[in-house]
Amino acid sequence: MISVRPLTTLPFFPLLLGGCAFRGAPSFPVVGAYFPAWMVCGLTGVAVSLGLRVVFVLTGVDAILSFRLFTYVALGILAALAVWLVAFGPG
Amino acid sequence: MMQRVRISGRKPLGMLIAAGCIGAAVVLGFYVAHRENAYPGSDSASIDAELVHIASTVGGRLADLPVQVNQHVHKGDVLYRLDPEPYMLGVQQAQANLDLASAEVENQKRLVGVKTATAAAARDQVTRARTNRDLAARTTERLQPLAGKSYIPWQEYDQARVALRDAEVSLAQARQQSEAADMAVGDLKSAQAAQAASQAMLDHARYELRQTVVTAPADGYVTSLSVKPGEVLAPSQVLFTLIVDEAWYVTATIREVDLAPVHPGDCVTVYSMIDRHTPLRGHVESIGWGVMSADTTGLARTLPLVPRQMDWVHVAQRFPVRIRLDDIRPALLRMGATATVEIRYGAACH
Repeated sequence: MISVRPLTTLPFFPLLLGGCAFRGAPSFPVVGAYFPAWMVCGLTGVAVSLGLRVVFVLTGVDAILSFRLFTYVALGILAALAVWLVAFGPG
Repeated sequence: MMQRVRISGRKPLGMLIAAGCIGAAVVLGFYVAHRENAYPGSDSASIDAELVHIASTVGGRLADLPVQVNQHVHKGDVLYRLDPEPYMLGVQQAQANLDLASAEVENQKRLVGVKTATAAAARDQVTRARTNRDLAARTTERLQPLAGKSYIPWQEYDQARVALRDAEVSLAQARQQSEAADMAVGDLKSAQAAQAASQAMLDHARYELRQTVVTAPADGYVTSLSVKPGEVLAPSQVLFTLIVDEAWYVTATIREVDLAPVHPGDCVTVYSMIDRHTPLRGHVESIGWGVMSADTTGLARTLPLVPRQMDWVHVAQRFPVRIRLDDIRPALLRMGATATVEIRYGAACH
């Protein structure tokens, strides 16, 4: 049941990120313009869902999933919200 | 390598995982939204300070300008001097006017003395006239029985009665003259009032002379200064602006729906984007009580201007929240700089 392990570690994902809690303004300068923190979270969510898709396909976990689009979107949203809570949100 | 992706399947474990992920995402989403409502913030705040538009209440030619643009000055430092000569002349003129008024007071004192002496003399005249009248009356009284029995010529009694009438007229005249002399004595009020007016003029002239030297009303930075000595300034013409650096503020615009948890005194974490890694501690000082709304443009004495429109989505109004910074770091503070604020949370509020 190696396939279930990523799901069981998921609730601890914010705790894993807690060590690298973000310090500084939640607004990022890119070539002279400030981008809000939630945009960073959104990009993280997209990256995490794409990365998980690749990892799951390679490890064969993908085969046991159904409603894959919704599952990966939900995982990406979870990652984005977790990053927001840990790094930027009121602590 | 890649397998064919099937959107849906008939695998119970896969459906369970999908339901779990979606449910967790929804729950976490609501939780984050709830927390965000309780802890508002803004990434479009701006660093703010108070200004003094430096001007003199008097006009004249700019004679001396010891400060430069962007320089820091302390309260009481001389900022600039106007040519004092016209105001020195004004002081001299006012001084001369005051001397004149003072001399007039002395003059009036002497006049009053003279008139007082005249009044005393007039009172003495009344006494003399009364004495004479009394003598004439007694004479007439003594002669009346004698004349009745023809011991003295009737002529002599007549003369005595005429003398009595004469003395009575003289007494009445002396009394009138005494009253007139008493009234003519007068006092120093008008001269002293003129002296007080001249003194006030002199004080005003001295005040204007002092206004030719402009000093800093508070610690701060000189900005928008672009003239050299020689410039002619009108009274109250602003020469430059002083940014007062005794207190710094952040103005954050917060949406009305997020204002409920914001209270004066709440801790605020402020990041100046000049150095976005240094949290500055501040506190909410007040929340703006009004903003101009484009929907209710009402000019006084005319009808309200209401545009015809049909909006289904309304953008939330924002109100300025005034935050006072508690730790002031001059390197991070420039008026108008972008700031990020986190109300009731953040690195500075633990």
